[in-house]
Amino acid sequence: MVHRHRHASPPGHRGPDRRALLRGGLGLGAAAALAPALAGCGPSEADAPLSFWSFNGDAPQQEGQVQQQSRWYLDIIDDWNAANRQQVKAQYIPLAVYNNGSKLPTAFAAGDGPDLFVISPGDFLRYYNGGVLEDLTPHITAEARTDFLPNVLDTRSVGGRVYALPFEVEPIAMFYSVASMEAAGLSEADIPKTWDDLLDTGDKLRSAGQGGIALETVPGYYQNFVWYPLLWQTGGDVVTPGGKVVFDSPEAVKALGLWKDMVEAGISPRRNPAAGDAVTGFTQGLVSMWHRGIWTVKEMETSAPDFEYGVFRLPIPDGGTYVTSLGGWAFAANAQGRNPDAAARFCAEALASMSESSIDRVTEWSIGVKTDIPPRTSALERADASGGYDRPVMKAFREEIYAGGRSEPRFPPIVYKAVSDAIQSCMLAGGDPAVEAERAAEKIDGFMLTYEGAKLL
Amino acid sequence: MTVGEKAPEAAAPAPSAAPVGRSTGRGKAETRAAWLFLAPDLLGLLTFLGLPMVLSVALAFMRVDGFGTYEFVGLENFRRMLGDPQFYDSLRLTLVYLVLVVPLTFGASLGLAVLIQRRMPFVGVFRSAFFLPYSVSVVVVGLVWEFMLSDDVGVVGIALRAVGVRPPSWLGDPDFALFTVVGLCVWFWMGYYMIIFLAGLQDIPRDYYEAARLDGAGAWAVFRHITWPLLAPTSFFVLLTLTVAAVTGGFELILVLTNGGPSNGTSVLVFYIYQQAFTFGEFGYASALSAFLVLILLAWSMMLFALTRGGRFSHGRS
Amino acid sequence: MAAVDTRPAAARPTRPARRRSAGAGGRGLKGFYVALATVLAVVTVFPLLWMITSSFKGPDEVVNGRLTIEDPTFDNYVYVFTQVPFLRYLANSLFVSVVVTVVALFFHSMAAYALARLRFRGRETVFVLVFSTLLITIPAIIIPLFLIVRELGMLNSYAGLIVPAVFNAFGIFLLRQFYLSVPDELEEAARIDGAGYWRVYWSVILPLSRPIFSALAVFFFLANWNSFVWPMIITSDQALTVVQLGISGFQDQYGADWNYVIAASTVAALPTMLVFFVFQRQIVDSIKTTGLK
Repeated sequence: MVHRHRHASPPGHRGPDRRALLRGGLGLGAAAALAPALAGCGPSEADAPLSFWSFNGDAPQQEGQVQQQSRWYLDIIDDWNAANRQQVKAQYIPLAVYNNGSKLPTAFAAGDGPDLFVISPGDFLRYYNGGVLEDLTPHITAEARTDFLPNVLDTRSVGGRVYALPFEVEPIAMFYSVASMEAAGLSEADIPKTWDDLLDTGDKLRSAGQGGIALETVPGYYQNFVWYPLLWQTGGDVVTPGGKVVFDSPEAVKALGLWKDMVEAGISPRRNPAAGDAVTGFTQGLVSMWHRGIWTVKEMETSAPDFEYGVFRLPIPDGGTYVTSLGGWAFAANAQGRNPDAAARFCAEALASMSESSIDRVTEWSIGVKTDIPPRTSALERADASGGYDRPVMKAFREEIYAGGRSEPRFPPIVYKAVSDAIQSCMLAGGDPAVEAERAAEKIDGFMLTYEGAKLL
Repeated sequence: MTVGEKAPEAAAPAPSAAPVGRSTGRGKAETRAAWLFLAPDLLGLLTFLGLPMVLSVALAFMRVDGFGTYEFVGLENFRRMLGDPQFYDSLRLTLVYLVLVVPLTFGASLGLAVLIQRRMPFVGVFRSAFFLPYSVSVVVVGLVWEFMLSDDVGVVGIALRAVGVRPPSWLGDPDFALFTVVGLCVWFWMGYYMIIFLAGLQDIPRDYYEAARLDGAGAWAVFRHITWPLLAPTSFFVLLTLTVAAVTGGFELILVLTNGGPSNGTSVLVFYIYQQAFTFGEFGYASALSAFLVLILLAWSMMLFALTRGGRFSHGRS
Repeated sequence: MAAVDTRPAAARPTRPARRRSAGAGGRGLKGFYVALATVLAVVTVFPLLWMITSSFKGPDEVVNGRLTIEDPTFDNYVYVFTQVPFLRYLANSLFVSVVVTVVALFFHSMAAYALARLRFRGRETVFVLVFSTLLITIPAIIIPLFLIVRELGMLNSYAGLIVPAVFNAFGIFLLRQFYLSVPDELEEAARIDGAGYWRVYWSVILPLSRPIFSALAVFFFLANWNSFVWPMIITSDQALTVVQLGISGFQDQYGADWNYVIAASTVAALPTMLVFFVFQRQIVDSIKTTGLK
C-alpha cells in the first residue's frame, strides 16, 4: 500500500466535481426561480400539442380490449387534430397510478397539470374549488345539453354551468354465480329482494359451503361510492342540497348496520376475494355474489365468456325505496392549461355535440368498447336499437337497475373521509353504527361551518 | 478500529507527520481538500433534499389547495394537528409499529448474520435466500402476500387450518392488520440489515475468534464478549437507519396492501401524511405533520449520537 | 491497531479438556446450524417460490394458493413480452440503476472519506446535516422536489430519473462508519511517501472499500431498480418507462389479470436476484481485501 507518486493531484480537480458544482449552482438558481413556480405558472409552449391524460388513450398493451379503449380515445384525438390547428396528444397513465398515485396531484400542485384529463365524481369538487376546471358550457348547444340524461350533468355542474362531461354511466348491482346458487339449492325465485332476504341467502350460501357475498372492503372513494345506495335506500343522506348535515340519523345507522351484520355473520369476507378480480373470484368459486358495477359484464365477457352468472338490483330495506349509485368518468379541461378554450371545445365536440360522430362515439363506448349506460338520450336510443341491451344481464341493467339511479356524490375529502371512517369502523372493527354516525356527522358539521366552495351533491 | 479510543479532536490521522511542523499549512490544505471531497454530495443533497425540505417546512405554514394557491396561515396547520384525533391515532400506531419492527428486524438480521457468517455448506445459498425478499419491489411483495394471506385460499391459512388453528383475517381484521404489516416488514428488511451486519462481522479479526475457540469459549460467550462489543458501530448504524426507515418508509407497502385500513388500523403517520398530501390535496397540513415527524426523528438521532460520541466506538479495552 | 480483547483468555485454564468436547460438539452444532439455516431459508423464500410457480399458472389457477402447478404454461411470459415493450422497460431500469449506483458510490465515498478521515472545522456539523437528510419523509418533499427538477429542465428525461436519485445520506453514513475503522497506518504509509489527499483516497481508501462497495452497490441498484414513485411522477414519455411502472400497466380499472402481473413481477425481480447472487461472494470475501488483520 505504498505509493510513490509525490505529485498526486489534489482532490476535486477532476471532471465530476466541477460538473457537480455546476449542477449545484443550477439547484440554487432553481431556488430563486421557485417563487414564480409556487404561484403556479407552468412553462408555456404555445404551439405544443395539448396533453390529454387518461388511463386508456395510447395504452401500450396490445390486448384487444385495452386497444379498443385506447383506440376510442385516439380516434377522438385524430378527428380533432384533423380539423384544428391546436393539436392534442394522448398521454397514457396506468390506472393504478392515475387513481391513487401522486402523479396528478403533484403535476397540478406544480402548475404542470395536463390540459385535458378524465375526472371521477369523487374528485370533482376539489378540482372545481381549486379553480382548474374550465367552463365547458359555452361550447355546448342547448339541444346537446338537453340530450344528456336527467341528473348526469348535475354533479358535474355548478351554478348551471357544466365543468366536466361524462362519457359513461355505471350503475351498481349485485352479480351472482348461477352454480353457487344451485349448489345452495337456490333458484332465480330466491333472488333476494330485501336486506333480510340478502342475509338469509348469504347464510344459505355459506352453510352450503359456497363463497360469500363480496362487498368492497378497501377504504377509499370507491367503497363509499358503492355503499351510498344503502344510505339512500333508507331515505338517509349525508348532506342536504341546502348544506345541512343529516348523517346522524336512524337511516344512516341502519345503513351502516347492514354491512356490519353481513361481515360479522361471516357472510361477507373481510378482504376482497381474488384481490378484487371478479373473473377469478367467480370462476374459482371464491365468491357467490359480488356487489359491484356494470363494467363487470365486460370483464366476464372478455375473460370468462362461458361462465354462467346473473345480476339483480340491490336489495332494499323494509319500507325503503330502490336506489343505486351511478358512477362514471368524465372529460375535463384545465382552466390553468395552455389553451383552456381549445381544450374546452375539445371536450364538448367529443362528447356533447349533436354531430353523428359524437353521438356514435358515446354509443360505441357504452355497448362496444365497454358495457355501460351512455349518458345521452340519443346514444341510449342508438344503443337500444343496435341491440346493445338485448342480452339478459344488460337488459336487467337497462330496465331494472339503472332506473332509480342517483349520481355518485361529489364530496370534498373531509366529508368523504368521515363517511369512510364510519363505514370501515362498523363493517370491520365492530364499531357501533349509532356512535360512528354521530362522530362522522360531527366532523362533517365542523367542516361545513367554514366550507366556502361549490354545493355538495 | 481505534479511532474512537481518543477524543475526536485528538484523533489525528497523522501523528507521525505532525512533528515536522507543517501543521498549520497542513490544516488549511486538509480543510480545503475536505470541502472539495464533500462538494458533489453536499451540492446534490442540498439541491434535491435540503432545499425541498426547507420548502416543505415553509408549506407547513401555508394553506395549499393543490392547484397553485399558497396562502400563509401561520400556525393553523399545527393547531389543526393538535386537534386531529386521527393524528394521535396514527402516532399511536406508529409507536406500536416501531416498538415491534425495530427490535424484531434488528434481532432477526443480527441472528441471521451470526448464523451464516460461520463456515458451513451452501452458505452462499443461505445468504441469497435471506436477502431475496428485499430484492423484490414493494408492489410485488404486496401482491404476493395479498394472495398468501387471503382469507379463504391463502397458503398461510390453509397451513394453519391443517393443524387445527382457525386463522384470523390477517389484513382484514384491525386487531391483526398492523401486526401482519410488521411481520411483512421484518421479512422484507431482515436480509438487508443482515448484509450490513455481515459487513460489520467481516471487520472483526479472525484471530479473536481463533483465540476464543482455543480457549474453549462457548458460542454465547464468543458472541457476548467478542462479537457484540466489536459490532457496536454496525449495531449503532443499523439501529439508527432502521428506525428512520421504519418511520419514514413503509407507506408504499401499506398503500398497496391495505390503503390504511381496515378501519385505519394500518394508518401509521407516514401513510397519513401521504394520504393528506395526495388523496386529499392537503399539502400544507401534510407538511406540518412531516415537519413534526422530522423533529421527533432528529431528537432521537441526536440522542443516539450524543450517547455514542457521534457514532464512534471504542473496542476492546474500555 | 486493533485492541486485544483479553476476556476470552480467561477461559484458558480449562483449555485442554474443553477443546475436545468443543470439537465433538462443534460437528453436532454445525449440523444443527445448517438445519436451522435451511428451515429459515425455506420459510423466507417460500412467498417468492410461490410467485415464481404462480407465474407459470393459467388464470384459473393463479389464486388457488397452491405451490404446485396443474397445467404449467409459458403464456404469461409471452404475454408480458409481446403486449408491452417490456425489454425497453428493463433496459431503462438497468441504465438508470447502473448509472446511479456508480455515481453514488463514487460521490458518497469521497464525502465519507472527508467526514471520517480529514479534520476540518465544521466536520461534525456537516455530518449531522448530511445525516439529517435521512429523516425526511418523501411524501412531504415530492412537490418541492418536482419544482426543482422542473426548473433544472430535467422533467421527463433520464437526467431527471438519475440525478436526484444519486444523493442519499444512507450511503455516506455507512461508508463513514466503515472508514472510521480503517487503521491509520495504511493512510500514513501513503502520506509519508508524499501522497496528497486525492492520492490517498484513490490508492488507499478506494481499494479498501471494495467489500463495502459491493454491499452498497447491491443496495443502490435494488433501490433504483425497484423505485416506482419518483419515475411515476417525473416521466410521461413511454420511452422512459421503467420496469416497475410497466408492471402497474397490467392492472386495470377494477381488478387485474393477476397471472400477467405476477409473471411481469417475476421478470422484474429476476435481474435483481441475479445481481445479488453475483455480488454476494464479494461481500463475504471482504476479509481478504480490507487489509484489516
